[in-house]
Amino acid sequence: MAAESLDLLQGTLDVLVLRTLVWGDMHGYAVSRSIRQRTGGVIEIEDAPLYKALHRLERAGCVEARWGVSENNRRARFYSLTTAGRRKLREQEAAWRRYAEAVFKVLEPA
Amino acid sequence: MSRRLFRLPWRTRRQIGDDVDEELRFHIDMRVEELRALGLSPDAARAEAMRQFGDIDDARHYITAVDRATEAAHRRSEYMGDLRQDIVYAVRKLRSAPAFTLTVVLTLALGIGANTAIFSVVDGVLLRPLPFREPDRVMRVRFIYNGSPDAGSPPELNDFRTRNRTMQSLAMYAGASVNLVRAGADPELLVGVEVSANWFNILGVTPQLGRAFVEGEDREGAPKVAMLSDVVWRRDFDANPAVVGRAIDLNGEQVTVVGVMPAGRGYPFSAEVWVPMVFTARQLSDAYRGARYTQMIGRLKDGVSVEQAERDLSQIGAAIARAFPEDYKTLAMQPLPLQSAVVGDLRRPLWVIMGAVAFVLLIACANVANLFLVRATGRESEMAVRTALGAGRSRLVRQLVTESVLLSLIGGGAGLLLASSAMKLLLRLAPANLPRVGEATIDATALAVTIFIALATGLAFGLLPALQMDADVASALRAGARGTRTRHASARARGGIVVTEVALAVTLLVGAGLLLRSFQRLLAVDPGFRPESVLSFRVSLPDRRYASDTAQRNFVNALDERLRAMPGVRQVGIASVLPLDGSDFTLSFTVRGRPPVPANDEPATQVVAATPEFFSAIGIPVLRGRTYTREAQPGTPKEVVVSREFVRRNFANEDPLGHYIDLGWSRNGDRRGGTIIGVVGDVKQGGLDQETPPLLYIPHAQAPLGNLRVVLRTAVPPSSLTKPVHAAVRDLDRELPVFAVRPLREYVDASVGPQRFYATLVALFSLVALALAAVGLYGVIAYAVSQRTHELGVRVALGATGTRIASMVVRQGLVLTLGGVLCGVVAALLVTRVLQSLLFGVSAVDPLTFVIVLVLLVAVAALASYIPARRAARVDPLIAMRGE
Repeated sequence: MAAESLDLLQGTLDVLVLRTLVWGDMHGYAVSRSIRQRTGGVIEIEDAPLYKALHRLERAGCVEARWGVSENNRRARFYSLTTAGRRKLREQEAAWRRYAEAVFKVLEPA
Repeated sequence: MSRRLFRLPWRTRRQIGDDVDEELRFHIDMRVEELRALGLSPDAARAEAMRQFGDIDDARHYITAVDRATEAAHRRSEYMGDLRQDIVYAVRKLRSAPAFTLTVVLTLALGIGANTAIFSVVDGVLLRPLPFREPDRVMRVRFIYNGSPDAGSPPELNDFRTRNRTMQSLAMYAGASVNLVRAGADPELLVGVEVSANWFNILGVTPQLGRAFVEGEDREGAPKVAMLSDVVWRRDFDANPAVVGRAIDLNGEQVTVVGVMPAGRGYPFSAEVWVPMVFTARQLSDAYRGARYTQMIGRLKDGVSVEQAERDLSQIGAAIARAFPEDYKTLAMQPLPLQSAVVGDLRRPLWVIMGAVAFVLLIACANVANLFLVRATGRESEMAVRTALGAGRSRLVRQLVTESVLLSLIGGGAGLLLASSAMKLLLRLAPANLPRVGEATIDATALAVTIFIALATGLAFGLLPALQMDADVASALRAGARGTRTRHASARARGGIVVTEVALAVTLLVGAGLLLRSFQRLLAVDPGFRPESVLSFRVSLPDRRYASDTAQRNFVNALDERLRAMPGVRQVGIASVLPLDGSDFTLSFTVRGRPPVPANDEPATQVVAATPEFFSAIGIPVLRGRTYTREAQPGTPKEVVVSREFVRRNFANEDPLGHYIDLGWSRNGDRRGGTIIGVVGDVKQGGLDQETPPLLYIPHAQAPLGNLRVVLRTAVPPSSLTKPVHAAVRDLDRELPVFAVRPLREYVDASVGPQRFYATLVALFSLVALALAAVGLYGVIAYAVSQRTHELGVRVALGATGTRIASMVVRQGLVLTLGGVLCGVVAALLVTRVLQSLLFGVSAVDPLTFVIVLVLLVAVAALASYIPARRAARVDPLIAMRGE
């Protein structure tokens, strides 16, 4: 586990969730695990906001949910990206990159 | 949002909660397993999993709420999607059956349109409160002298004002035509009303411009003022606000305009100018108790009931009668809410018309129901197929509801269009005495109610196919579309509906027939004169410039001479009153030589001052003796002519000729009257349906009156003399208005205007009803024939002739019709009784009317069944049987 962690910026979690679902349909636990692995523990994400984000995205039509069977044969709720979700991901990704570049420009020594 | 191919079943709130719990439990369990694999104890692993999760209760709440919203949104969008689909499907269905659609829409449009238009009129005239402050507190107070209603006299207003304890205020009014003279325009006669100064306070209305009359303006010597109606202000003064404060010429006097009333807010509604009613000290004296010419209105005090006011005022009346026994036998007072007073006799006829139009709506609904039923039977197989393909019953019900609602809305829209043109027609047909009808506008409530009724009908019967569709899909499919049990039930239902329709139509037709027959009787009444080829007009001599008898006499002589010289004129008559023009000048009289009778029991007669040629000009026949001549002048022996009714009442067993009549009418010490020298035919004065009054004609030269009615018997079409008549009067006096120039025939027609209006409307509705019933009958028979093609084919194959087949079908239609006719006759006998008071010379159970209606109905029914019968007769047995 990382010693330090960053607070998540508004909307960042949505991008992370959407990006994760690009790999394929996943249940909430798999999404959580995948994000943890990919951020290398730099960002500690609690699961509560993650689930909130998933359901919020479902409400917004970015993801669809259905009940399926997990790898260990249990009933689990699987999420998949919708067309609207993909579009939103593209937009947010671009916005994030622009934002990050701007921040780096400030941080880099002149 | 992506389109769902499969709809998940809707989740309840509880299920949503369970799902959220299960999802979160799965997550925690997985995390615990993962941590335990790393070597943590079960308890430590669970604690760590919960820590990593964060605030799980908050998350559960949040997620549950979001999911509920998601679920609701899905339902909505699915519903909208289905609705669109339903509508598209419904439109396609309706377009594929244009005859059905058109018939339903037209039927509904007729029912809804007619009802909305009539209800709007009824609402405008009867129901909408008068446009006054607390209108139910404003009373018309009627004077009942010796048991019969009459106008009141000036001193009585003072009596009631000072003594009553129940009225806030009282005011008098009386009609008074006023002559408006403007520079550069023809003089114009306006409908004027004299009112007490507190008139507009009692009504509680304020002028749109200027002010109302103020206290004291109705006293002798006060400056002359007037108020204008909106109509006059716009028509004669170009809606110029500067007219307030300006002086105008009314009846030859300079009168200052102080205010303009808003449109439709001044009472009486027909008034064009209001002027203060000024009573002189002499008029207010007891000598004037018999001068009954004014009406009274008042406003009740707060908390006082109409009954209390009636008791209070009648007690005062009784006291007055006791104090002046020569003037009164009894005097009772009857306050009546102004609304009832205004509407009065119109209530019943308008409700009758409303009832008639409601019948039309009922028949329209029956027809719609019928059409839906016929269609429903034809759709059984469609429904079965759709069910087999997986449509749930509720889905089918929704589809049918959509179709019905769509049809009703289209019908309602068409009805609205129809109503707005019907309103224009109604306003043109409406008799002049229908108050406030001009303000009637399409009534949104009425429209909504009728559309609702149509909608309910459509729904009730549109749903039948879905409800009749039992679980027994297989048998419906197998049977194709023939011969199920429900078919018999619906055939019986259709038969029932047709019987009802016919019954309603019979009732309506009988009502219309009675009204038409009584209208015909009314037209056949002999008015007592010959109105053809007669032009009539009116001239009013203002008192100020024609004060003396001599001045009035000279004018009449000059006018008479000038008109007789006019080409195309045969005879000229000038009189103070014309038959059927609504005026009435009644005086008491004594017969000289008979023992005196108490003042109260003196006989009375209507009095007409007429020129000698009046009788021949208007066409009143001389029955006995002779009429007076031009020799009858002031100073020559006084002579009068009386009507047959006058003789019947006063000289039952005596020769009237030679008796001398003294009228209760004196002028400058000269008592009017004269020796009876002739008897002439009766004329209808009030209306054709009114009693014939006694009449006394007095030579105009010996008893001039300033209100002149002129009749010209012409050799040319009467209307062609309109211009020359105006010119002739203008040559004599350019400030005199000539008005009411019209053929005498129009007076006769106008006097039957209300009856014509009611009869026309009810006849119109009954024809619509007849047409609708015929369409309904035709639909049922035609459908029955189409369903029986196979059976008929077999009959033809077995040797039945076409005629035989046709008569069989017609018989089926007639059986239904006769059933309806029987019910209808019974209903008509019950219902037409409410018409009794509207009928003239016809009984409510007039057998001829009933017979005519029955014959008409059976004939129409036979025709409606004959058309499908002919088709049945031409059935080709081969095709009919193969088609199965």
